[in-house]
Amino acid sequence: MPTAPNLLLSGLRLLFAAVVIAMAAGPYFLDPTEVVIVTEFLSMLVLAIMWNLLAGYADIVTVGQHAFVGVGAYAFFGFSALAGLDPYSSIPLAGLVALIIAVPAMILVFRLRTAYLAIGTWVVAEVLMLVAGKLQAWGGGSGTSLPISIVLSLGRARNDRLAVIYWLAFALAAAAMFVTYFLLRSRIGVGLTAMRDNEEGAAAIGVNITRARILCFLGTAPFLGMAGAIITMQKLRIAPPASFSITDFTVFIIFNVVIGGIGSFEGPIIGTIVYFLLREYLSELGTWNLILLGTFSIVVILIERRGLWGLFRRLLADDIVPVAHKPTQPAVVSRRLSATES
Amino acid sequence: MVDADTGAQLAVKDVSVFYGNFCAINHIDISVGAGEIVSIIGANGAGKSTLLKAIIGQADRVEGTISFAGDDIVGRSTKEIVASGIMLVPEGRRLFPSLTVEENLRLGWDVGRKGKGDIGFADIWKQFPVLDERRKQKAGLLSGGQQQMVALGRALLANPQLLLCDEISLGLAPLVVNELYALIPRIKARGIGILIVEQDIERSLAVADRFYCLLEGKVSLSGRPSEVSRDDVIKNYFGI
Amino acid sequence: MAGVWINQILQGILLGGLYTLFATGLSLSAGVMRFVNIAHGDFIVLTSFILLVLVTSLGINPAIATIIVLPIAFVFGFGLQRFLLQRVVGENVLLVILVTFGLSIIIENGLLEGFGADPQKISGGSLETATIALGDGINMGVFQVITFVAAVAMVAVLDLILYRSGIGAKIRAVSDDVVAADLIGLSSARIYAIAMGISFVTIGIAAGFMSIWTDFDPASGGTRLLIAFEAIVLGGLGSLWGSLVGGIVLGIAQSVGAQFDIAWQMLAGHIVFLIVLAVRPQGLFPKY
Repeated sequence: MPTAPNLLLSGLRLLFAAVVIAMAAGPYFLDPTEVVIVTEFLSMLVLAIMWNLLAGYADIVTVGQHAFVGVGAYAFFGFSALAGLDPYSSIPLAGLVALIIAVPAMILVFRLRTAYLAIGTWVVAEVLMLVAGKLQAWGGGSGTSLPISIVLSLGRARNDRLAVIYWLAFALAAAAMFVTYFLLRSRIGVGLTAMRDNEEGAAAIGVNITRARILCFLGTAPFLGMAGAIITMQKLRIAPPASFSITDFTVFIIFNVVIGGIGSFEGPIIGTIVYFLLREYLSELGTWNLILLGTFSIVVILIERRGLWGLFRRLLADDIVPVAHKPTQPAVVSRRLSATES
Repeated sequence: MVDADTGAQLAVKDVSVFYGNFCAINHIDISVGAGEIVSIIGANGAGKSTLLKAIIGQADRVEGTISFAGDDIVGRSTKEIVASGIMLVPEGRRLFPSLTVEENLRLGWDVGRKGKGDIGFADIWKQFPVLDERRKQKAGLLSGGQQQMVALGRALLANPQLLLCDEISLGLAPLVVNELYALIPRIKARGIGILIVEQDIERSLAVADRFYCLLEGKVSLSGRPSEVSRDDVIKNYFGI
Repeated sequence: MAGVWINQILQGILLGGLYTLFATGLSLSAGVMRFVNIAHGDFIVLTSFILLVLVTSLGINPAIATIIVLPIAFVFGFGLQRFLLQRVVGENVLLVILVTFGLSIIIENGLLEGFGADPQKISGGSLETATIALGDGINMGVFQVITFVAAVAMVAVLDLILYRSGIGAKIRAVSDDVVAADLIGLSSARIYAIAMGISFVTIGIAAGFMSIWTDFDPASGGTRLLIAFEAIVLGGLGSLWGSLVGGIVLGIAQSVGAQFDIAWQMLAGHIVFLIVLAVRPQGLFPKY
């Protein structure tokens, strides 16, 4: 017999599936302004999913995620505008460049322990932004616009172009969700979750945590890079401070994930939705927007670390998207043992 | 200055200790008189260390009363409890490795009970000449036995009325353990009560006036070591 | 020609003094509490704005304003650690990073709201323009020299506090083993708060010198944090004298980089940091 929480859960899962399907057809029923907003939402969602994967599971708190978004933007410009490749193949290539840059970046920042790693990633982002400002072909410090020919190659009519960019963002967000879902369901994901909850647990499962963290760090880079490419298609411009915007691609993202619920699959989605609702209704607040989000996220950390989703989750029997395997008996027992006599 | 009901200096009455929902200690009663040596024995996981943590104010959730010198100390901070005259020699010694021997000892003095301190640095140097020679050496560079001396010295300099010793023989050579255990009666002679938690049953029963055996968070046997048979102890130790 | 380069290196060393002022407090808090206060730079900028208000509204000397601010800074740092950060310290370093990150954004945007984005500066009067000429085009600003001396003095005083005082021993004990400290009644929460209070006193001093040395605006906290962070990692985490060396290395790198091309100033500092991180991740004078 279905209980109330189970009924609510089934309802939410249905709603989630319905929204995803509806979103796939977005350009057919949304007006152009809405298409632009949902496209922005989807690219921010990708960034949020990636940050959550790193901070919420892999114990890599980065405040330099904007680095790879910017690298993606600049690489996309290089492939499409400078090398003359078509914009569609430039997107995965931008992701590839982000991945290549991520390797030395990772080697450097992984030398720092968790607490310091955060700032290490910021330094790397700062360096990449400063270097980007030195690239004369990319317009130097003031940046440049995407050539009109590339814009037109996406579609003759503006609405067609918006739809194309929308579907690219949709595809990337869907891919980000799929990849995270399967990663978290895999042995690696189970190991990371175990490490987060209880360090001995991870060793018991036998997952090599260092390798799992490397995989996560390198895995997120191409997604961030491709998001940067899509954001550039939409903004039609690159410039160091805008393409490597710490506020847009890191600060807001962190707040969204924290508020939505860090370390859960649903958290980044909820946080990004809340952010867009707030932005639509509170856009006149300006800097107060950030002050409010900052305060709100500190309050969330103090009161309910699992964010809005953690609060809401208490009403449900299970996650909407169940990434966690059911808790097993041995984990509980080992925690008891370590607690009793130490 | 003593517990009204039992006349003991430390009286643990109907105490349960929880970690989350897990009950590590389940309604136990234990007492230690002034200048009395009491030994707590029990298998791994029986709740021995948890008991010490509850007394010193480092357990998650404690129910019941723990009275010391007539006051209930449940809910007080470790700082207050130490200042009132209980000091712990932690399991594994837990010295501060980058501090010198003297600095480690001084921390005991700083946190300890104020007033008529009859144990001073001079006593520690006299008792442990090897530490005197190494005053300025980093504690992390000492041998295990020397570290245990510092840990014991640190606790004594806190001028306690009750000393809690958690596994002081662990990982030490028998000769060193003999030396440390030889000190126990001399500490007792100063009127200091001692609660010893030890895996080495023989050793701790040899010095104890009374003992309690814990099994799965409950007292399974108690009395004077001379009054119980070895078989009884073993039966209540393993619960078989 | 050699004079130009010697001059740049000298200016870099003096600049390193300012950077050391940024770094020592962060070195102390990171070394003891094992987390980096991401809002460290923003607190320096916030204090500079407070000094600006004091100096302009009361018409007092910046040095006196700084001295007035120091005890308040200690109490503020103590309270911040005791009542906010302590609640998330320990179990998971992620939480405390996020809280200080949130603080950083709140301060930055709060200042933006209150003072606007324009760069500000406090006038140091004639002291600011006074120079000592050493010939061959080499000049030292008097204020810069004072700043450098202050930085060395600050490191020396903190070193004394940490290694020669009772509270210093307690701070090091908690840094060694926080669980053991609590077991013997040292009350790590209180000692953490004292360490953070001291860190905030250094923030006050750093703000006093920075607000006269350079322009500052609400968004400049991030750069200050990165410099402080790079200095402590370069010097070796937890080593106070190391952060002086780290600060000087950064100062020289930036100053010499700027001589090639002014746009290279910041980049040169970061690149030297990354190179040292690559070849010597434990820093120049490792402590832990």
